Amino acid sequence: MNQTNFVHESYAQRIWRRFRAEPFARNGLWTILVLFAVAALAPFLANSHAIIRVADGRVTFPIFPSLEPIEWRFLLYVPLAGLAWLFRRRLFARPLGGATFLLALVILIEVWLVFHHVVNDPTNDRDRPAAFKLMPLVPFSPVETASEPFLPPSWTHPCGTDSTGRDIAARMLHGARTSLSIGFVAQSIALSIGVTLGSLAGYYRSWPDIAICRLIEIMDCFPPLLLILVAVSLFESQNNMFYIMAVIGLTTWTGMARLVRGEFLRLSGLPFTLAAQAIGAGDLRVIVRHILPNALGPILVAGTFGVASTILLESSLSFLGFGMQAPTPSWGDILGESRLYIDFAWWLAFFPGLAILITIMSYNFVGEGLRDAVDPRLRIK
Amino acid sequence: MTTYLIRRILLLVPTLLGITLLTFLLVREAPGNIALMKGAGGENGSRAMTAEQREAMIKLYGLDKDPFTAYAEWIGRLTRLDLGDSWVDHRSVVAKIGERIGLTASLAGSALLISYLVAIPLGVIAAIKRGQVTDRAISFTVFVLYSIPSFAAALLLILLVAGGDYLNLLPMYGTNSINASEMGRFEWLWDRIQHMILPVICLTYGSLSYISRYARVSMLEALAQDFIRTARAKGLPERLVILHHALRNALIPIITIFALELPVLISGAVIIEEIFSLPGMGQLMFASLEARDNPTIMGITVFVSILTLLGYLLADILYVVVDPRIRYE
Amino acid sequence: MALLHVENLGIHFGPPEDPVRAVDGISFEMAAGETMALVGESGSGKSVTALALTRLLASPPARYVSGRIEFEGRDVLRLPERELRALRGSGIAYVFQEPSSSLNPVFTIGYQIREAIDLHRPEIRDVTGEIVRALDTVGIREPEKRLNDYPHQLSGGMQQRVMIAMALACRPRLLVADEPTTALDVTIQKQIMDLLKALKQQSNMAILLITHNFGLVADFADRVLVMFQGRIVESGPTAEVLRNPQHLYTRALIECVPKLGQKQRRLKVIDYAGIN
Ligand SMILES: Nc1ncnc2c1ncn2[C@@H]1O[C@H](COP(=O)(O)OP(=O)(O)OP(=O)(O)O)[C@@H](O)[C@H]1O
Ligand SMILES: [Mg+2]
Repeated sequence: MNQTNFVHESYAQRIWRRFRAEPFARNGLWTILVLFAVAALAPFLANSHAIIRVADGRVTFPIFPSLEPIEWRFLLYVPLAGLAWLFRRRLFARPLGGATFLLALVILIEVWLVFHHVVNDPTNDRDRPAAFKLMPLVPFSPVETASEPFLPPSWTHPCGTDSTGRDIAARMLHGARTSLSIGFVAQSIALSIGVTLGSLAGYYRSWPDIAICRLIEIMDCFPPLLLILVAVSLFESQNNMFYIMAVIGLTTWTGMARLVRGEFLRLSGLPFTLAAQAIGAGDLRVIVRHILPNALGPILVAGTFGVASTILLESSLSFLGFGMQAPTPSWGDILGESRLYIDFAWWLAFFPGLAILITIMSYNFVGEGLRDAVDPRLRIK
Repeated sequence: MTTYLIRRILLLVPTLLGITLLTFLLVREAPGNIALMKGAGGENGSRAMTAEQREAMIKLYGLDKDPFTAYAEWIGRLTRLDLGDSWVDHRSVVAKIGERIGLTASLAGSALLISYLVAIPLGVIAAIKRGQVTDRAISFTVFVLYSIPSFAAALLLILLVAGGDYLNLLPMYGTNSINASEMGRFEWLWDRIQHMILPVICLTYGSLSYISRYARVSMLEALAQDFIRTARAKGLPERLVILHHALRNALIPIITIFALELPVLISGAVIIEEIFSLPGMGQLMFASLEARDNPTIMGITVFVSILTLLGYLLADILYVVVDPRIRYE
Repeated sequence: MALLHVENLGIHFGPPEDPVRAVDGISFEMAAGETMALVGESGSGKSVTALALTRLLASPPARYVSGRIEFEGRDVLRLPERELRALRGSGIAYVFQEPSSSLNPVFTIGYQIREAIDLHRPEIRDVTGEIVRALDTVGIREPEKRLNDYPHQLSGGMQQRVMIAMALACRPRLLVADEPTTALDVTIQKQIMDLLKALKQQSNMAILLITHNFGLVADFADRVLVMFQGRIVESGPTAEVLRNPQHLYTRALIECVPKLGQKQRRLKVIDYAGIN
């Protein structure tokens, strides 16, 4: 790389440059992006309806009527990505701001996804004759009984079928949405709570600090999985995605709060904070504009690791049967079902297990890379 | 130190009150209750209750009282170390927990012990060989282990070594074989150990990878300190420099994170017990949640919270023991 | 024969194509019992030179690219590990700049001195007595009571005294004091320097004092070396160098002193400058 580059480089740009230099972290980020793309396009990758069908001299696109309105959001991602690319100079002139903006948009869209349900549509285009048809990559819907139960992986069913003959590959593709968006949104909830309470405690000290620390201690003395289990199992009737996200978010913010509190305790004694206070900046301004940006690095790192552990939590819940309700597929759910048939149907456990592993590992690699980029003292090289 | 300890123990009380109140309200205010569950008639064909019977049951369990009065009563009994009786089988909650705590504790305990025994050497070796092939291999392996969900690992291990279509080396479920009662003492013990191998592995490797990553970092930090140079300048052999001067300092943060591992291990045990059908606390928790057996749920809450809080306390005390710079007065 | 003989020593850091020449071909000699000062500004390579004397400088990242270091006739750079360890401490002992971080916080000072004695003077029976004596020599009052103190229980000046006691406990032939007073406040600086001076008179130990303060050099060292960007730019008897500095850089360093030193020393140095 060009060593004698004296152009001014901002903090975020430096982090980004160091981050890109780590192959594992870079590949982790790519994997996550691909997974998100797969999740967003899941209905186009696994569907029982043809994308294009030519029959009786007419060209139809049967896949579109079968989609729920929610699925059209992929149409939002495409122009969004295009616009972001077009205005990348302007947007990333302050990279943290730009990234935050994009992230906020994605979160909004993903929260919308919360209300998504897979509908059971018995019709399919596989068997209907046609002059020409282009089927999706996996020509099965995640909820239809497509074949015999317990078919091992084959060309027709690359990941096999489950106990009711549903195609595992289709369920995995759609399940990606559950895992990814829950990880993302629940961690965002945890992050908001943690950063808010942590900064209040660290900035004001005295009684807010005492109160918040007590609260953290109360939350922490209960194993997170147990607390979530209690909350989820008692309100079983409301187990939609949003409820699970909220419960996970509301129970896992303590680590972030501790971290932010520590950073604020450290930073609020430093001269630049005092300088900001001396020129009469209000508390909110000092917190948001002066201290928080300096704590963003560690927050980002912890948030990334947090997404990984949230995905793990969600899949544990689904595995135990306390997750999303029946028709919505999720990786943990498929794994949970596989328990009963583990002595012969290895594919039921293998593919979702691998998917969870890859996702969690990618997030952890990204987190690791970010940490090394933020604090290069401890990197391996 | 004594006054510090007393203060710390007194501070546990409000925390305990907080967590129990939270759980109490959650458990009580959630839609549905045991009367409705029982009243609906079980799958095993038990008769549905009449409205009067249901009312009587609600009265019996105090579900008609306002939640704060009920909580105060519950706390009142707790101060006499009475956790009440289970609503399901009317046995004392303390006894129910008592007969299950041993299994969970031995699972979590051996997992913690093995984690430390393996993780510290791994971390130290990786730190010494920093940047070399050994370090990369250890760090990567540990990293992958860290990312495998324990239930996926459990399933794959069962699939591979416990019955199924592949190897059949270890038993799949339970704490003992069916014919355990006929076994001699050592045979029984061996049988038990065989049953525990897979659960303990599944519970261990996560903490193990976490601790060894942590050990590597704190060892690297210790090795970068000035006093290491002093030790070398004295002419100490490298082995002593590392295993005595550096490790002794690196151990301080490593030892004290065991408290943070406790809740993680208990969470892990819940899943592992469920998969391997082990009658521990986790299973009891599931059963009680399903049956809406409030006294048992509360009992487990109290138990686990106290255990975790004592873990934190122990970590603080250990800090004083291992780090001469820290004194509480 | 010289006690220490350094010839054309070169130590580099960083990429071989574009190295940082921390030490760039220096040569000097020290006789037994001699006190010498190594002076130079920050980053001039003083510490690197000092650490290299017993190969304490880890390689990598450092690279010993040229030259030889001979201590009592033995080639340090080619010494096997075992003999090197014997040399460290008993041949050449160190006192470092930062006493608070140079002592291991989790061991008592008594134990840390004991380690040195056990290692290099195994013939000693009454080790505890020896430790007490060592602490006494460096002016720690009631040493018996201090044995079991941890470093954090001592003040900075006392910690540095313990470092010195630990170095002396091995009876080294050469004591390298790398800026022993920089981290201490001014009154303590003087006490430590007085201590080193007293030690110099009592024993036949050679001392290499590293500093960037010419004021400390004036009444301490027999000879002085001036280092600048990894090279020795001037050397000679202290009085001569101070009276008649040849190199511009030396002159600048000497002129620095009044700003840095304490009152008493400032007068002395101005005195020397006046002679010039
Ligand atoms: N571990 C290292 N890695 C890379 N460069 C180093 C390392 N140690 C020293 N250097 C370089 O060697 C040069 C000399 O450093 P040295 O520590 O000897 O300076 P010094 O004269 O002792 O300064 P000071 O008075 O500040 O102690 C410096 O330019 C420094 O950047
Ligand atoms: Mg130096």
